Amino acid sequence: MNQPKEIFVRIDRCMGCHSCEVACAVAHSAGQSLYAALSETPTPKPRLYVEWVAPDTAVPIVCRHCEDAPCMHACIAGAISRTPGGVVMTDKDKCIGCWTCVMVCPYGVIGRHLEEHKAYRCDRCPDREVPACVDACPVKSLVYQTATAFSRGKRRTASHELQSGQKG
Amino acid sequence: MESRRYVIVGGSAAGMAAAVAIRDHDPHGSVRVLSDEADAPYFRPLIPFVVSRKKSVADMFLRGRGPYRAQGIELSLGVRAERIDSPARRLVTDHGETIPYDRLLIATGSRPNIPAGISGLEHQGVFALRTLEDARQAARRAEETTRAVMLGGGLLNLKAAFALLERGIEVTLVVYSAEVLSQLMEPADALLIRRALDQAGLRILTGCSAGHILGGDRGVSGVVLDDGRELPCQMVCIGKGVRPNTEWLDAGAIKVDRGVVVDKHTHASIPDVYAAGDVAVTYDPITGAPIITGLWTNAVEMGRCAGANMAGYPSVYGGTFGVLNATQVARMPFVSMGIVHTAGTEYETWCRGSADAYRKLVFTPDGDRLVGALFVGDITNAGLYRLVIRERMQVGGMKRQLVDHRLHYGHLLCARDRG
Ligand SMILES: Cc1cc2nc3c(=O)[nH]c(=O)nc-3n(C[C@H](O)[C@H](O)[C@H](O)COP(=O)(O)OP(=O)(O)OC[C@H]3O[C@@H](n4cnc5c(N)ncnc54)[C@H](O)[C@@H]3O)c2cc1C
Repeated sequence: MNQPKEIFVRIDRCMGCHSCEVACAVAHSAGQSLYAALSETPTPKPRLYVEWVAPDTAVPIVCRHCEDAPCMHACIAGAISRTPGGVVMTDKDKCIGCWTCVMVCPYGVIGRHLEEHKAYRCDRCPDREVPACVDACPVKSLVYQTATAFSRGKRRTASHELQSGQKG
Repeated sequence: MESRRYVIVGGSAAGMAAAVAIRDHDPHGSVRVLSDEADAPYFRPLIPFVVSRKKSVADMFLRGRGPYRAQGIELSLGVRAERIDSPARRLVTDHGETIPYDRLLIATGSRPNIPAGISGLEHQGVFALRTLEDARQAARRAEETTRAVMLGGGLLNLKAAFALLERGIEVTLVVYSAEVLSQLMEPADALLIRRALDQAGLRILTGCSAGHILGGDRGVSGVVLDDGRELPCQMVCIGKGVRPNTEWLDAGAIKVDRGVVVDKHTHASIPDVYAAGDVAVTYDPITGAPIITGLWTNAVEMGRCAGANMAGYPSVYGGTFGVLNATQVARMPFVSMGIVHTAGTEYETWCRGSADAYRKLVFTPDGDRLVGALFVGDITNAGLYRLVIRERMQVGGMKRQLVDHRLHYGHLLCARDRG
């Protein structure tokens, strides 16, 4: 089976520039441009979040589309399901805004559209080759890869760091 | 190996979650689900929308929605399980059928608790909203109703009350406790919600209860309260909690203590029989106390765990908080979880309120662990607080963020890396 690509975060690289948030909000706006997005109501919202941990760590937080997705199983309306591509998706029409998914998400990545009284979340940009946030990240803190490719890359970096550590 | 025969009694949250989990783990066994309801499995918490007519019944069925997509689950509707013949490993139904099983799940849920002290329950127009069929009937009765009286101030009755309000009916809520939602918060914590309910047009009478229900040929005509007051109405809804459906079980053969008693693998006291959901006794992971919950979320989690165990994949059920509710009533979202009743206890509590939001965080008396949280108005990141409670984390340096409602996943991540 083809392994689907996922969004991975390399926290050590993030500088907290929030480009990903902006790109995400624009990608999920009606006008699809920053300029148009600014004047839309309700204001287009990002579906990932860059938070700070004192003193100086920026942490991009993005939906993992968890394997055993607690939100999906907890949903009392059957509004959350998994697509064949592995994306956990909230069906807006079915969502009743009970916020049970917010109560069980251990990452805090489910947003609430107060005007529409609906929950929303990362949809991994189904119409784009690469999700908007990943595209926008200037330091490649966000990467879009298969789990295998990502951990292979990580192992390589680790062994590289080990070697340079031995030298130094 | 012969393929296993799985039989599930009850086709709702616990039963269907188990059926799907079994299918995930064992593609070859036969899975049969019995339900005494005439309707195919549906999302029970959606039934108030039948009353309000905001959703059609067709939008409520479980199969093909959310995680309920497994094939090869045989459903037998309108069939009631009457008895477990444990030595012969057979289930006996009201149709006289005997069904052999290799693994059996009891997922018969619960039914409304009808208080003994009320007379006149037989009148038409008296409801306790539990099944889709109840909701259909209530929706019809609503057509000839201008006033309704709700007995009980819990979440279910509030949802039903709003469904009726949306139909243009005048609704009075009769609450025995000092305030609404007394299972989910203390009176002082409910101020914002109470104000929102009042503004939404709900009439609420606290500190009183119904003595009898009046009626005649055309059904209910009123409710007489214990203080003598009479409330004219054409409809009464009883929302006084639920009771596990255990009476079909032989309490001499299987251990029942209010609900079906199970071990940490959701296994009941007789061989190859499991139980999950509203009918099962579970335990609170914070206090360890045995509890029976009436929660969809818990029924699914427990059902999935039971399904895995039945299919031969040992899986431990982690218990659940007795209180674990999220909802929005009268445009006021709230989440209540864990230990939130603190009057007369030693728990360390932090309450903070503003014009449109309120929160209460409850820590162990030494202040080291979070044991409960209530958010009203702003429920941001409630799931992280649930995790902190459930994992019994030492809150350490995160305490400020917890109390200020600023906790985000980055804090947990960095705390883990440091710790
Ligand atoms: C209006 C409403 C709103 C709710 N809202 C929420 C909410 O927001 N959040 C939440 O967590 N929970 C909510 N709940 C509670 C939730 O619906 C229940 O906790 C959940 O349905 C329990 O699932 P279960 O599978 O254990 O049992 P049940 O849903 O009770 O299903 C048991 C099934 O077994 C059948 N049965 C019983 N005995 C037999 C027998 N002998 N043979 C065959 N079949 C039998 C019953 O008829 C029933 O169909 C709500 C409930 C209602 C009614």
